[in-house]
Amino acid sequence: MKVLPTRCPSCNSQLKVKSLVCEQCRTEIQGEYELPALARLSSDDQAFMLEFIKASGSLKEMARLLRLSYPTVRNRLDDIIERIKLAEKSEGNEREEKL
Amino acid sequence: MTEITTDTKTAASRRLCQWLFNPFKFVAGCKALLSGLVIILASAFVGSLGNTHFDGVLDVHTGREAPLWFFFAEGLINWICMAVPLLFFGLIVSRSSFRAIDVFGTQALARGPYLIAAVAMLPDANRRFGEYLTAKLTQAAPTVAINYTDVLIFAFAIILIILMAVWMVALMYRAYTVSCNIRGAKAIATFIVSLIGAEVLSKAVILQLFK
Repeated sequence: MKVLPTRCPSCNSQLKVKSLVCEQCRTEIQGEYELPALARLSSDDQAFMLEFIKASGSLKEMARLLRLSYPTVRNRLDDIIERIKLAEKSEGNEREEKL
Repeated sequence: MTEITTDTKTAASRRLCQWLFNPFKFVAGCKALLSGLVIILASAFVGSLGNTHFDGVLDVHTGREAPLWFFFAEGLINWICMAVPLLFFGLIVSRSSFRAIDVFGTQALARGPYLIAAVAMLPDANRRFGEYLTAKLTQAAPTVAINYTDVLIFAFAIILIILMAVWMVALMYRAYTVSCNIRGAKAIATFIVSLIGAEVLSKAVILQLFK
């Protein structure tokens, strides 16, 4: 499976979606769209979040599935939350700079 | 094939390292608390067989006779004196919400190396050398005779205890960072303050208990 790149390989800036295409009729939409917050996470973090949702948001269940301790799983989730908050903050700053 | 074998070996050794120096990645909460309490009580029991006292968070001393309950009390006092300040600092410094049972459980489990220290102090040679050393220090006539084997056993036990103390402190620090989700300078500073405070507090409480 191809991995969706989220950062620019040249300058490491956040990438945006420029084009969307319909596989059925080949209609193509061009624009400049922000990636959703969850799509900006690394593939590991995305997989973790997917498992977390599938476990109904239960950290205990996640710990059991991953064979890790409860605080280890909770710390991982806290780290992801921190990264999302940082990304949102930098996105807000970028918008302000543009205005 | 060789690459796969090497990778498997690397993964296995990494996992072993994690179990030795950060078992809290895999064990915390009730499991850690129960196994930790068993370890603390077992260390106290083994200690009582050779009159080895854990009379302070980091202390190991031998010689003084005491009832069994006193050895158990020492172990529990040491554990609580270390866990309470860490819980207090965790509540102040950590930005995560965490469970008190993880702090108490992992700190109990972190005392595992002192079970090995208690076993190392079991041979009678340690008691003989301890008595001989005390007599020398107090400039009294030694009541026991020691030989080279006693000195070797005592030296081995001391080296092992130092290593176990270092291992235990490393485990305590890991337990703190995992259970409270604190890293970096904040974690190091608050851990050192807690360790010093816990050492003083536990010594004072155990001294009062012995009186």
